Amino acid sequence: MIKVVELKDLTLGYNKVLFSGINATAHEGELIAIIGPNGMGKSTLLKSISSIIGVMGGEISLFAKSVDSYSHKEIANVLSLVPSNSPRTGNLSLFDMISAGTYNRTGWMGSLDEAERQNVLAVIEKVGLERYVYSDSSKLSDGEFQRAAIARSLVQQSKIILLDEPTAFLDIENKSLIIKLLKSIARNEGKTVIFSTHDLPLAIQMCDKIWVMGHGGFFEGTPNQLIEEGVFDTMFKDSSLRFDKKLLTLL
Amino acid sequence: MANLKKLNKMLHIFKLSLPTTKMAKVGSNSRYLYKYAIATLCFAILLAANILLGSVSIPASDSISALLGNSTPDYVREIIWSFRVPKAITALLAGLALSICGLQMQTLFRNPLADPFILGISAGAGLGVALFVMGSSAFGIDISSSAYASFGMAAAGWTGAMGITLLIMAVSSRLKDNLSLLIFGIMSGSAVTAVISLLQYFSSSASLKSFVLWTMGSFSGLNQDQIYILTIMVICGLALSIYNIKDLNALLAGETYAKSLGVNLQFTRIRILTASTLLAGSITAFCGPVGFIGIAVPHISRMIFKNADHKVLLPATAILGAAIMLFTDTVSQLPGHSTVLPVNTVSALIGIPVILMIILKRKMQ
Repeated sequence: MIKVVELKDLTLGYNKVLFSGINATAHEGELIAIIGPNGMGKSTLLKSISSIIGVMGGEISLFAKSVDSYSHKEIANVLSLVPSNSPRTGNLSLFDMISAGTYNRTGWMGSLDEAERQNVLAVIEKVGLERYVYSDSSKLSDGEFQRAAIARSLVQQSKIILLDEPTAFLDIENKSLIIKLLKSIARNEGKTVIFSTHDLPLAIQMCDKIWVMGHGGFFEGTPNQLIEEGVFDTMFKDSSLRFDKKLLTLL
Repeated sequence: MANLKKLNKMLHIFKLSLPTTKMAKVGSNSRYLYKYAIATLCFAILLAANILLGSVSIPASDSISALLGNSTPDYVREIIWSFRVPKAITALLAGLALSICGLQMQTLFRNPLADPFILGISAGAGLGVALFVMGSSAFGIDISSSAYASFGMAAAGWTGAMGITLLIMAVSSRLKDNLSLLIFGIMSGSAVTAVISLLQYFSSSASLKSFVLWTMGSFSGLNQDQIYILTIMVICGLALSIYNIKDLNALLAGETYAKSLGVNLQFTRIRILTASTLLAGSITAFCGPVGFIGIAVPHISRMIFKNADHKVLLPATAILGAAIMLFTDTVSQLPGHSTVLPVNTVSALIGIPVILMIILKRKMQ
């Protein structure tokens, strides 16, 4: 399998070290969750991988090439980022919102040709929002809007998709809808999907791999491996918080 | 919408219903073409009204034959060609330039209160003009000789506007996000305004008056050369703004996402700042700080066109801005009276109630 993302001895932070000792890899077609307490640097890690912010040490490689050697445009061709709480714009149709993802391929005015239009419509259908193509995107529900934001990054046609807390503020039904969507993107289209979340049960149930950023350090493994090793117990400062094997499998 | 509901009630008997879309459709292609047509028509009517109406009552037939170059009394030709047409062109350019500049600032800062002057362009221009006016009087130069005064004031104003923009550009490459840029811009504007107050405090009453008159805004008094310069600047600014459309649309998705899309934010900022100096800086230098239009027209065009795509919004804002500025100028001339009101007061008096009405109406819905 191709190593799509490789993190070597990474130290996150700006002026001050936020989190260090990150070693991880992501392969083609994998769905990976980043789990950890608030403020450990999950968003920072995602932004560092997308080269929006720099790192203090270590190396990030995308397709075996250092992230620093990519230009703005080249990054956008291999990687897309769905930030947490994307802003809504009134009177922007869902179609126009999602077509923003074609930025790298369109001309100076950003107009879409017929093939691109069909492409955008197909992605809208894939995320199940075809009823709202010309509706005001700012009036969508939280779950629908999150799917629209995912659609926008799918339109980018990058091999890697990073999502910052895509299931925050969503109800259980919408959460599972989003995760299933991400899973099918990874499985059926061979993309590498990495997302941060606080939803441990969902991550254990659905993901191929989990990256744990906790007080005990950085761990990478399949959900079962991590449960066996008791990694989740070391995640929080409060050591009385136990993630019993039984409890986790029950969840 | 109400009709559709009524119709559905009637159809309900037959267990039929039309899709009452709970969300209004926006941004589909054919829907705004007729709005463009109406806006352009309004613009044409207001342009004609602006030229035909003025302090001196001239029969419309005389004005039209003067415009067409037919034989008319000399005084009519003089008023139309030396006074009203240049003034209409200046008002048109000012409305267009300030509105599309305001639109770009509102998108860049994701702030509905942003206007062309939010980064201190008018303060910079004001400082230039104040220094020119007060400096001239200090050196004993007579400011009232109009050719020297109007050209000098424009040049000084433009230099001031350019100066503050260059300062902000230089700082902007060190600033991480647009919010810091906004704060820096507002602060430097306030600092410059304080310097202007200081200059005013120490200036003679004659130079104080010419400065205050400049701050009230006026579209008259530009000669042919000045209008040529202004037109070229506005066309360059407009061209750059059109080139900015793609990045402005990307910015609607938020700064973080725009960056990950491949937008070079530093470069985009510099392009938007350059466009705003060319547009708002030039207009302010020649006509004074004309308020209100830059903040209000983008909102009005969003409300009318119901489309956030800048490919639709930018031309709409340009047409509506020119139309509204022509209207404001026509009113400020008080047709038939010999008094002329300052443009700035009229634009505020006409515009603010309109905006409040629109906001309140939206709230009640």
